[in-house]
Amino acid sequence: MFAKHKSKLYLLFATLLVVMLVAGCVGRDTSTGQVKEVKIGNILPLSGAAAPLGKIGKEAREMAVEEINAAGGIKSLGGAKIKMIFADSKGDPATGVAEAERLITQEKVALITGTYQSGVALPATEVAERYKVPFFCPVPSEDVITERGFKYVFRLAEKTSWRNRDQVKFIQDMANKYGTPVKTVALIYEDTAWGQGAARGWEKYLGEAGLQIVLKEPYPRNSSDLTPVVLKVKQKKPDIILLCSYVSDAALLTNTFAEHKVKPVAFIGTSGGFADPVYFDTAGDNCEYFFDISTWEPDVNRPFSKEVNEKFKQKYGYGMNAEAVKAYVSMYVIKDALERAGSLDPEAIRKALAETHLTSGVTQMYASEIAFDETGQMVNAPLVISQFRKVNGKMERVTVWPEKDARPGWKPEWPFPGWEGR
Amino acid sequence: MGLLSAIINGILMGGIYGLLALGLTLIFGIMKIINFAHGAFLMVAMIFSYWLWKIMGIDPYLSVVIIIPVLFVLGYLTQRYLIKPVLDAEKDVREPIGALLLTAGLSVAIENFMLMVFGADYLMAKTTYSGASIYVSGLSISVPRLYAFVATLIATFLFYQFLNKTELGRAMRATGQDRGVALLMGIDVPKVYSIAFGIGTALAGLTGIFLIPFYYAHPSVGEVFITKAFIIVVLGGLGSVPGALAGGLLIGLVESVAAQYMTATWTAILVYFAFLAFLLFRPSGLFGSRYEW
Repeated sequence: MFAKHKSKLYLLFATLLVVMLVAGCVGRDTSTGQVKEVKIGNILPLSGAAAPLGKIGKEAREMAVEEINAAGGIKSLGGAKIKMIFADSKGDPATGVAEAERLITQEKVALITGTYQSGVALPATEVAERYKVPFFCPVPSEDVITERGFKYVFRLAEKTSWRNRDQVKFIQDMANKYGTPVKTVALIYEDTAWGQGAARGWEKYLGEAGLQIVLKEPYPRNSSDLTPVVLKVKQKKPDIILLCSYVSDAALLTNTFAEHKVKPVAFIGTSGGFADPVYFDTAGDNCEYFFDISTWEPDVNRPFSKEVNEKFKQKYGYGMNAEAVKAYVSMYVIKDALERAGSLDPEAIRKALAETHLTSGVTQMYASEIAFDETGQMVNAPLVISQFRKVNGKMERVTVWPEKDARPGWKPEWPFPGWEGR
Repeated sequence: MGLLSAIINGILMGGIYGLLALGLTLIFGIMKIINFAHGAFLMVAMIFSYWLWKIMGIDPYLSVVIIIPVLFVLGYLTQRYLIKPVLDAEKDVREPIGALLLTAGLSVAIENFMLMVFGADYLMAKTTYSGASIYVSGLSISVPRLYAFVATLIATFLFYQFLNKTELGRAMRATGQDRGVALLMGIDVPKVYSIAFGIGTALAGLTGIFLIPFYYAHPSVGEVFITKAFIIVVLGGLGSVPGALAGGLLIGLVESVAAQYMTATWTAILVYFAFLAFLLFRPSGLFGSRYEW
């Protein structure tokens, strides 16, 4: 009885082994001759909490691929069309890994793009590295993704710490330009991994810039009252207040700052809650003159930005966000690499991606120059600072820095003018 | 000045915590039920109050006349048709736990129902006094918090009078002290229970109304406050009316003042340690005795 089962088990294992070997060894269609389509795998959170973000990423990719295919596909592959295969990660790392495995072994994709979450990207890229298949990350920003010595991982997004770096750059730039000496900084951040990471980044770059941190204030998200935190900041009278918050805390802090008339030289947010549309509804006029950092804004002064966003709006009924722009531009970066690779061989595609140097075309909407360093990290991920300003009586995110990307005719309001007359 | 501002803020916030704890302590004192759905009722009141303000332009403070009766009825019916059968079924059980599990389940159900109907957005009534402050020589006092504090004092006072001076109040206290004897004296215990649960729920509603001008409502907002309310009930003494207010003020002050000397993450830990210390050394709380009622 038991022995019978045992032999069955062995048989099962043997079969599995053979299947795995075959799946691993059977070469992909690497001949350049009769290529009809290029399969690209996409791992996105299409269900679960981040589903809306997965959806907008999927839509942006589809729009780009439609355009590419309509324009004649990949010419060096005899006009092969790109075929997108979407896989749902549910925002769960284990699912992401399983899907990466499936896309490579079953679907035989030429390369993979995705994921929205850094937590999914980290293990999923390991799978691709093992199979030696290129993995292109448009969005996830956790520093370590391109710091593991992987050869098959490429990232278009900025590193998280670069946001903190550019916030500090911005502070120094403004202080010089407007003649407002800045010495002291207060850090207010939510106390989980995201906020703590921001605090580490700030400490590093503020230290290098010779600015003094007078207050480090982590707080638990979903606090019933953030007044104590605000009162503490008020006591310290810092020149700059740097914030890293989810949307509920961002609005609660903003309103409490207003209540107690805290007046630094500037309030600067780190995306997240400050970039959430709900923030404007809940903070109202109190958020006027706050700054926030991101990689793209609808009003950013870059070629193609308006046109593509407009087209997207026509097609899907709402505007793009930074994630959608990165997803859209990624497809064009991949197309360019496939064009130069002229084959479906993953090695050739990897080499072509590494040699990317795009300085013209629709990718301008994200960055004037796209190139990757030896770790696969996009070299100059462009970050912009926007300021919340009233445009025709309505609060908007107005891009103000760097100057070349700023909304025409707008300058930053620096220092913070205070709360009177609101 | 910062410290004084922190003390004032602590007292004002403490009042709000106390008001929420008041409903909880009443339900416990009379029915000996730990009501896990209390936070969910607070959330329901906040969201209703917000929509009344948003759609019909009713000031949250005026919505008292609508929301308090609605929540009273909600509480009354909850006790009458959900909790009572469970209590009856567990009449002969030594350590009944059914009601506790029921309210916990109820809270999950209410939360998800509200999530389905109203969505997960953060809502806040931006009234004329939202974000308004009174400035006295460098101190800033938040106006909506001040109103909430005054309301707490009035509500606590009225409630105390009701328990001590009215026939129904006395019947409630009698029921809380000894259910069996109260029954023999001709008190309609199930009815007293329903009314008590209704009043407790209405008090959660009142807290919600005073929160909505300066705090966000969303389906899980109850969880932000309910843990504090439980701690306060233990600190003040289970079933003690003045204890709820005193415990609330204590927690509010500790949170606000301690945060000036340590991070907000640490103050949360401090509050929990205080709670544990009380459980160890004075389990009956500040004002608690089994025969408070």
